[in-house]
Amino acid sequence: MRRSIFLALLALSGAAFGSHAAAALPPTVKIGAVESLTGDNASYGIPIRKGIELAVAEINASKMLGKTQLVLTVMDDKADKQEGISVFTKLINEEKVAAIIGPTLSSTAFAADPIAQKAGVPVIGTSTTAIGITAMGDHIFRDSLPQAAVIPGTLAKVIAKYKVKKAAILFESTNEYSKSEADVFKAALPKLNVQITGSESYSKGDSDFRTQLSKLNARKPDILVFCSLIGEAIPVLQQAREIGITQPIVGGNGFNNPNVLKNAKEASEGLIVGSSWFIESTVPRSKVFVEAFRKKYGSDPDQFAAQGYTGAYILAAAIKSANSAERGAIRDALAKVRNLETALGTFSFDENRDPQHPSTPLIVQNGRYTLFQ
Amino acid sequence: MDLSLLSDPVFLLQNLIDGLSRGALYAVYAMGLTLIFGVLDIINLAHAATFMWCAITGWLVMAGLGLPLPAGLLAAMLAGACIALLLEYVAFRPLRREGSDRLSTMISSIGMSLIMVSIAEAVFGVETRRFPSSVLNPRPFHFGGLRISPAQILIVAASVVLMAALGYFIRRTRMGKAIRAIAANQKAARLLGIHVEAVIAVTFVTAGALAGAAGILVGLLTNNIVPDMGGQIQLRGLAVVILGGMGNMEGAVLGGLILGVIETFTIAYLPGGSDLKDAVVFLILFLILFVRPNGIMGRKSAERA
Repeated sequence: MRRSIFLALLALSGAAFGSHAAAALPPTVKIGAVESLTGDNASYGIPIRKGIELAVAEINASKMLGKTQLVLTVMDDKADKQEGISVFTKLINEEKVAAIIGPTLSSTAFAADPIAQKAGVPVIGTSTTAIGITAMGDHIFRDSLPQAAVIPGTLAKVIAKYKVKKAAILFESTNEYSKSEADVFKAALPKLNVQITGSESYSKGDSDFRTQLSKLNARKPDILVFCSLIGEAIPVLQQAREIGITQPIVGGNGFNNPNVLKNAKEASEGLIVGSSWFIESTVPRSKVFVEAFRKKYGSDPDQFAAQGYTGAYILAAAIKSANSAERGAIRDALAKVRNLETALGTFSFDENRDPQHPSTPLIVQNGRYTLFQ
Repeated sequence: MDLSLLSDPVFLLQNLIDGLSRGALYAVYAMGLTLIFGVLDIINLAHAATFMWCAITGWLVMAGLGLPLPAGLLAAMLAGACIALLLEYVAFRPLRREGSDRLSTMISSIGMSLIMVSIAEAVFGVETRRFPSSVLNPRPFHFGGLRISPAQILIVAASVVLMAALGYFIRRTRMGKAIRAIAANQKAARLLGIHVEAVIAVTFVTAGALAGAAGILVGLLTNNIVPDMGGQIQLRGLAVVILGGMGNMEGAVLGGLILGVIETFTIAYLPGGSDLKDAVVFLILFLILFVRPNGIMGRKSAERA
C-alpha cells in the first residue's frame, strides 16, 4: 500500500515536470490594457489604445507567436485612482490576463500597480514618467522614458540656445506626475547653472492661473517651465500669453500632445517639449508604424501612440522568448529585453526595468511639433 | 518670501484688478444663492449644478450654433431660470407642502445637484469644453504696466449692472416688495393676500438667471467648462453668503469682492499661497462667524433681503 502511494506520487511529480518541460504557448494569451478613455486625459489614453490595438492586430496577423493569438481586453480607468484599482482587480482576477499594459497616468499607476505586483502580474507602463513608478516592484516595467532621462538633455539644449540664466516653474501640487516632474526640473536647473527665480503651484480644479503666472513673471525669468496635464496645460499656456509672457516655455510630458496645439492655437507657438519619439523619425520600425497607423486610423500618431504600440510589441517579444503564457515566466523574459528593434529605436530595459533609448527635444512651429535645434 | 514683490506697486494694483474681477464673479454667483436664502431660509445646494448647466448651454449656443456673446448670455440666463423653476417644483415645493424641515430641503437640493451633474456627465462627457476665441477677444488692454482683459471688464460691468438691477427689483417693484414681505414673514404675507407660491417661483427664476450669468462669466474668464466646474464655486459661494450676511444682497457683493481679493493676495504674497488659498479663505470665514455671526453687513434676520 505504502509502495503504491509512493509510486503514484512519483508518477504525479513526473507528470508535473513533464508538463513544465513541454510548456508551449496556448492557442490564445489574454492581455489587458488599462487606459484613460474618458475625460480630458483620454487625449493621452485613446492614442495609446490605438497604438496597442494596431500592434496586437499586426502581431496576430504576422503569426509572430506562431499559432498563438493575443487576445486584448482594454478597460477605462477614467483617470481615477479608485477606478484604476477596480479595473486592475477585474483584469487580474476575472479576466485572468497574463500581463497588463498601462495605466495612462502616473497617479493611477501609484494606486493600481501594487495590486498587479502582489498578484505577480507583469505591468508595462507606456506613458507613466514619474519618479518611482518601477520602484513599486519587480513586476513593474515601463517603455515611457522617466522624467529624469528626458529633462536634463532637453534643458541643456534650451539653455544653450537662449542663454538662460533664470527660470520659473509652475506645477500642480495635487498630482503625482506633475509634482515629480517639477522636482526633476528643480534638480536639473541648478546643475546647468540656472537660477530658479520662482516656483508656483495650483490645485486640481483650478482654472485661473493668472496670479501665479504674474508672480512668476514679475521676477523676469528667461524661460518658464510648466508641468501640467492636458486639462490645465491649455489654459495655462493661453493665460501665460494673455498676461504677456513672451519668453520660451518648456512643457513637461503632458504638453507632448497634439491636442494642446489644437486648442491653445497660437499660444502654443514656441513651446518646447522633450519627446521619446518624433513622427519624422528615421528609425525603420518607426516608419513602418507611422504608415500602418495612418492607414488604419487616417490620422497621424503621437508619442503616446508610439509608446503604446511599442509596449505591445515588447510584451509579445517577451511572451515569445519565454515560450510561456505564465505570468512569472513573462516577467522574467521582460527583464531580459535588450536591444530590441522597436518604433522608439533600439530598446532595452535597464536593471530598474526603466527604458533606455534617446529622447528628442521638439519645438512647436506653425502649429506642429518640429525638431528643436 | 521675496520682499521685492511687496514693494512693487504695479504688481499690487495688478493683483487688485485680478482679485476684484475674480470677486465680482463670486458676487454674481452668491447673489442668487443669498436671494433664495433670504426668502426661504434654505441653502440651495443645486445652485452650483444650475450654474454648470448654464455654462454648458452658453457653450452650446456660442460654440455649437456659432451665435455671439449676447445670445449666449441670454440663453444661459434663460436656461438658469428654467432649471431653477424646475428645481422649485420638483425639489422644494413638495417638501414645503409637507412642512419638512430645512435639513431635508437641503438634502433634497444636494440630491438634485448630484442628478444634474450626472446627467451632464452622461450627455456631454467629462471633457473640458472651451468657448471659441471669436466669442470674446482674449487679448488684454495695457495701461501703465497694468493689464485688464475684455473678460475682466465684462465681469465687473455685469456684476455692477446685475447688482443695480436686482437692487431696483427688490426695493422698488411690487414683486420685489412681495419678495421682501415673504422674507420677513411668510404667514403674514399670505394673510395680506400675497400669492406666496408665485412669488417664490419668481425668486427662483431670478436666482437661476443670476446663476446663468455667472456660468457665462466664469466660462469667459477661465475658459474651462466641465460638468464638475460647480464644485469650486459652490464652496466659495457659501463662504460669500456667510461673509456678507445670510440673505443680504449688498453683503453678497461686498463679500464676493473681499473673498476674490483675499484669494488673489494669498496666492500672490504668501509662499506656497496657492496651496493655502482655501485654508485662508475658510479661516477668515471662521473668524467672521466668531466675531460677526451675522456677516459683515449682517442685520437681524427679520430685516433681511
